[in-house]
Amino acid sequence: MIQPLHQTLYELLKQATGFIYPNEIEVHWGILVVVYPYLTGLVAGAFILASLVKVFNVKEVQSVYRLSLLTALAFLIIAPLPLLLHLGHPERSFEIFLNPNFTSAMAMFGFVYAWYLMVVLLLEIWFTYRKDIILWSKNERFMMRWIHKIISLFSTDVSEKSVIFDKKMVKVITIIGIPSAFLLHGYVGFIFGSIKANPWWSSVLMPIVFLFSAIVSGIALVILIYMIVTPSRRQEIDMACLDKMASFLFYAVIIDFSLELLDFIHRLYESEESIKILSDLVMNKLFISLGIIQVLLGMLLPLGVMVAIKFFRFDAELRKLLYFVSAILIQLGIFATRWNVVVGGQMFSKSFRGLTAYKMELTGFEGIFMALLLLVLPFIVLAILVKILPPWEPAPVSDLEAVSD
Amino acid sequence: MKKFLTKLPEQAGRLLIVFIVFIALVLLVRFLLPASLKDHNIHIQNTVATEMSRQVRYAGSEVCASCHDEYNLKKNGYHKNLSCETCHGTLKEHSENPTEIKPLVPRQRDFCTRCHAFDPSRPTGFPQINPSAHNPMKACVSCHNPHDPKPPNVPQECQACHAEIARTKAISSHVMLECTICHEVPTQHKVAPRNVKASIPAEREFCGKCHSTQSIIKETSKVDLATHGEKYLCWQCHYPHMPEVE
Ligand code: HEC
Ligand code: HEC
Ligand code: HEC
Ligand code: HEC
Ligand code: HEC
Ligand code: HEC
Ligand code: HEC
Ligand code: HEC
Repeated sequence: MIQPLHQTLYELLKQATGFIYPNEIEVHWGILVVVYPYLTGLVAGAFILASLVKVFNVKEVQSVYRLSLLTALAFLIIAPLPLLLHLGHPERSFEIFLNPNFTSAMAMFGFVYAWYLMVVLLLEIWFTYRKDIILWSKNERFMMRWIHKIISLFSTDVSEKSVIFDKKMVKVITIIGIPSAFLLHGYVGFIFGSIKANPWWSSVLMPIVFLFSAIVSGIALVILIYMIVTPSRRQEIDMACLDKMASFLFYAVIIDFSLELLDFIHRLYESEESIKILSDLVMNKLFISLGIIQVLLGMLLPLGVMVAIKFFRFDAELRKLLYFVSAILIQLGIFATRWNVVVGGQMFSKSFRGLTAYKMELTGFEGIFMALLLLVLPFIVLAILVKILPPWEPAPVSDLEAVSD
Repeated sequence: MKKFLTKLPEQAGRLLIVFIVFIALVLLVRFLLPASLKDHNIHIQNTVATEMSRQVRYAGSEVCASCHDEYNLKKNGYHKNLSCETCHGTLKEHSENPTEIKPLVPRQRDFCTRCHAFDPSRPTGFPQINPSAHNPMKACVSCHNPHDPKPPNVPQECQACHAEIARTKAISSHVMLECTICHEVPTQHKVAPRNVKASIPAEREFCGKCHSTQSIIKETSKVDLATHGEKYLCWQCHYPHMPEVE
C-alpha cells in the first residue's frame, strides 16, 4: 500500500511554492522527453547542412556531405527510442501505423518519421553511395562483400548514364528533403506550440524556433564529429571546410537568437495574465538552465567568439580550438533549450500561482543513466555506419574504369 | 509501358521492386490483421473485455461490515468519507479468506500526515497539523481512534482547521482583529463544522462600522461608503483576511 511513489511526491511537495493543483506535483515529461526533441533536432540540423551543400553546391563543405548524411541517419534511428521508453510498451508502437488516427498530431509522428526515414534519408544515402558500394564490393572479403551487395540491392550498373541518374535523384530528394526535415522538427515544435493551456509552450513561433535551434545544433554536431574523427584518421583538418561550416553555424545562431529574442519581447509586450508566473519561473527555477546555460554560455558566448574570429585573423590552431569550444557550448545550450521548454513548461501551476519542482531519477527507465545511454547510442550507430559506408573522399577505389566494363 | 520499363535505369527498377514489396507487405499485414486492430469499436470492446477479466482487488467498505464493528464506528465519524481500503490496502482476498490474508495496519505517524500535514492547497477547514510540533514521537493512534478520529478535546483555536486563513491574517493589517469580530461562531462549529456553520458578514455596513467616514473608531483609514465601490460588497475587492490597497 505504501508505495515509494507517494514518498517521492511528498518530498517534492515541500519544494513546491505558492499554490499548485494536486496533479501538478509530478512532472510527467521528464528527461527522456528532453532528449527526444534534442535528438530529432540534431537529425534535422545535420540533414539541412548536407542539403545546403547539395542545393547551393558549396565546394568547401563537400567533404562532410556524406558524414552529415550518416550522422542524420544514426541519430534518426535512435530518435524515437526515448519516446518509446517514456511511454512504456514499445512493442505496441506499431499500432499507430495500423490504426492511424489522422486527427492526432502526436499519432502522426509515426508517419512523419517513416516518410523522412524511408523516402528521404535512406534514398538519398542509397543514391549517393550506390556507385561506390558496387565498386567496393568487387574487391572485398566475404562478409563486407555481401553486406555491400545486399545494400546495393545487387545493382551492378555503374555506367555514366546511371551515375548521372543517381546524381539527379539526389538533387530531387534533397529538394523534397528540406521541407521534410523542416516538417520533422517543426512538427516537434508544433506539438508544444499548439498546447493552448500552457502559456510557456503555446506560441506560433515555437515550430520555427525549434527548427532553427535544430539547425544550429545539427551543424555544431557535424563540426564536432568532423573535428574529432579527422585527426583520429591521421588526416589534416580542412580549414576551408571548417571555416565554411562555422560561418553557416554563425548565421544559424544569429537567426535562432533573433527568433528567441522576438519570442521573448513578444511575450513581454503581450503581458498575458501568465507573465507574472513565467517571470517567476525564469528568475527562479530556470535561472541557471535558461539564463546562464542557454543564453549566456550556449548563445552569447559562442556568438561573441565567432564574431571575434570574423574580425581578427587568428591562426588556424587557435581557430580550431575556438570552434571546438563554441560547438560544445552550443550543444550544451541547445540541450538546455530543450530542457527549458519541456521541463520548464511543467514547473508552473495552471493556476499561475505556484511553482513545482522536478526531481530527476538516477536509475530506471526515466532516469539520467538511460538518458546518457540514449545520447551515446547514436554515436555507436554512427561508428557502425561509418564502417559500412565510409564517408571519406575521394572514394578509395582508384581503378574505376577497370571494373566498370 | 514496355518502353518505359526498358528506359528505366537499372537501379531505379531495383528500388521500385523494394518499394512494391514493402507496400505489398503492408497491405498483406493489414489484410491479415484481426478485425479488432482495425475497427475502432471492436478494439474498444476488446479492451473492455480485457479490463473486465482483470482480478478484482477492492472489496468495498460494505463487505467489511459483516465481520467488523469498525464499520459502524466509522460511519458517523470524521473519517466517514474514507473507505476502509484507503488505509488497509486492497482487501478483496482478505474478505474471502480472512485468516490467511492479513491486511495492512498503518500505525506509523507518517501515514496519517500524508493527508493531515499542513499544505496550503488543502481545502478550507480541512484539519491539518504540523507533524513536528503536534505531539511528536507519539503514534497518532495512541490519541486518535482512526475509525472515529475525534480530537480528544475540542480545538480552541480557529487556526486548527483554518490554518491558511489564520496565517494570512497574521501578516495583514487586520492582524489585531479576532476572527470572532467578523464571524459569529457557535461552539458546535468546532465539533461538527459541516453541520453547524459560522456566519459571514453580509453587508457593506459591517465593514463600515470601522471604516466609514462616520465611524467613531480612530486608528482606521476611512472611506465614504456612499461613493466608495458603491455597488459591490467590500470583499469583492478587498480580501477580508488580507485587505490590500493598491
Ligand atoms: C468474512 C469476514 C471478514 C471480512 C468480510 C473482512 N474481514 Fe477483516 N478480519 C476478519 C477476521 C476473522 C480477522 C482476524 C484474523 C486474525 O486475527 O487472524 C480480520 C482481521 C482484520 C484486520 C486486522 C489485521 C491485523 O493484523 O490485526 C483488519 C485491519 C481487517 N480485518 C480489515 C478488514 C477490512 C478493511 C475489510 C473490508 C474490506 C475486512 N477486514 C473484511 C474477517 C473479515
Ligand atoms: C484512516 C485510516 C483508516 C481507515 C479509513 C480505517 N482504518 Fe482500520 N485501522 C486503522 C489503523 C491506523 C488501525 C490501527 C489502530 C490501533 O492500532 O490502535 C486500524 C485497525 C483496524 C482493525 C483492528 C486491528 C487490530 O489489530 O486492532 C480493524 C479490524 C480495522 N481497522 C478495520 C477497519 C474497517 C472495517 C474499516 C472500514 C469501515 C477501517 N478499518 C477503516 C486505520 C484505518
Ligand atoms: C486519505 C486521507 C486521510 C488519511 C490517511 C487520514 N485522514 Fe484523518 N481525516 C481525513 C478527512 C477527509 C477528514 C475529515 C475532514 C473534514 O471533515 O473536513 C479527517 C479528519 C480527521 C480528524 C478530525 C479533525 C477535526 O477535528 O476535524 C482527525 C483527528 C484525524 N482525521 C486523524 C487522523 C489520523 C490519526 C489518521 C491516521 C491514522 C488519519 N486521520 C488519516 C482524511 C484522512
Ligand atoms: C498526545 C496525543 C496526541 C497525539 C500523539 C496526536 N494528537 Fe492529534 N490531537 C490531539 C489533541 C489533544 C487534539 C485537539 C487540539 C489540540 O489541542 O491541539 C488533536 C487534534 C488533531 C487534529 C485536528 C486539528 C487540530 O489541530 O485541532 C488533527 C487533524 C490531528 N490531531 C491529527 C493528528 C495526527 C495526524 C497525529 C499523528 C501524526 C496526531 N494527531 C497525534 C492529541 C494528539
Ligand atoms: C474542527 C475544525 C474547525 C474549527 C476549530 C473551526 N472551523 Fe470554521 N470551518 C471548518 C470547516 C470544515 C468548514 C467548512 C464547512 C463547509 O464548507 O461545509 C468551516 C467553515 C467556516 C466558515 C465559512 C462558513 C461558510 O458558510 O462558508 C467560517 C466563517 C468559519 N469556518 C469560521 C471559523 C472561525 C472564526 C473559527 C474559530 C472561532 C472556526 N471556524 C473554527 C472547520 C473548523
Ligand atoms: C475583518 C473581518 C474578518 C476577520 C477578522 C476574519 N474574517 Fe473570515 N471572512 C470575512 C468575510 C467578509 C468573509 C467573506 C468573504 C467572501 O465571501 O469572499 C470571510 C470568509 C471566511 C471564510 C470562508 C471563505 C474562505 O475564504 O474560506 C472562512 C473559513 C473564514 N472567513 C475564517 C476566518 C478565520 C479563521 C478568521 C480568523 C483567523 C477570520 N475569518 C477572520 C471577514 C473576516
Ligand atoms: C473592528 C474594526 C474593523 C472592521 C470591522 C474592519 N476593519 Fe479593516 N481595518 C481595521 C484596522 C484597525 C485596520 C488597520 C489600520 C488601517 O490601515 O486602516 C484596517 C485596515 C483595513 C484596510 C487597509 C487600509 C490601508 O490603508 O492599508 C482595508 C482595505 C480594510 N481594512 C478593509 C476592511 C473591510 C473590507 C472590512 C469588512 C470585511 C473591514 N476592513 C472591517 C479595522 C477594521
Ligand atoms: C470596486 C472595488 C472596491 C469596493 C467594492 C470597495 N473598495 Fe475599498 N478600495 C478600493 C480601491 C481600488 C482602493 C485603493 C484606491 C483608493 O484609495 O480609492 C480602496 C481603498 C480602500 C481603503 C483605504 C483608503 C485609504 O485612504 O487608504 C479602505 C479603508 C477601503 N478601501 C475600505 C473599503 C470598504 C469598507 C468597502 C466596503 C464598504 C470597500 N472598501 C469597498 C476598491 C474597492
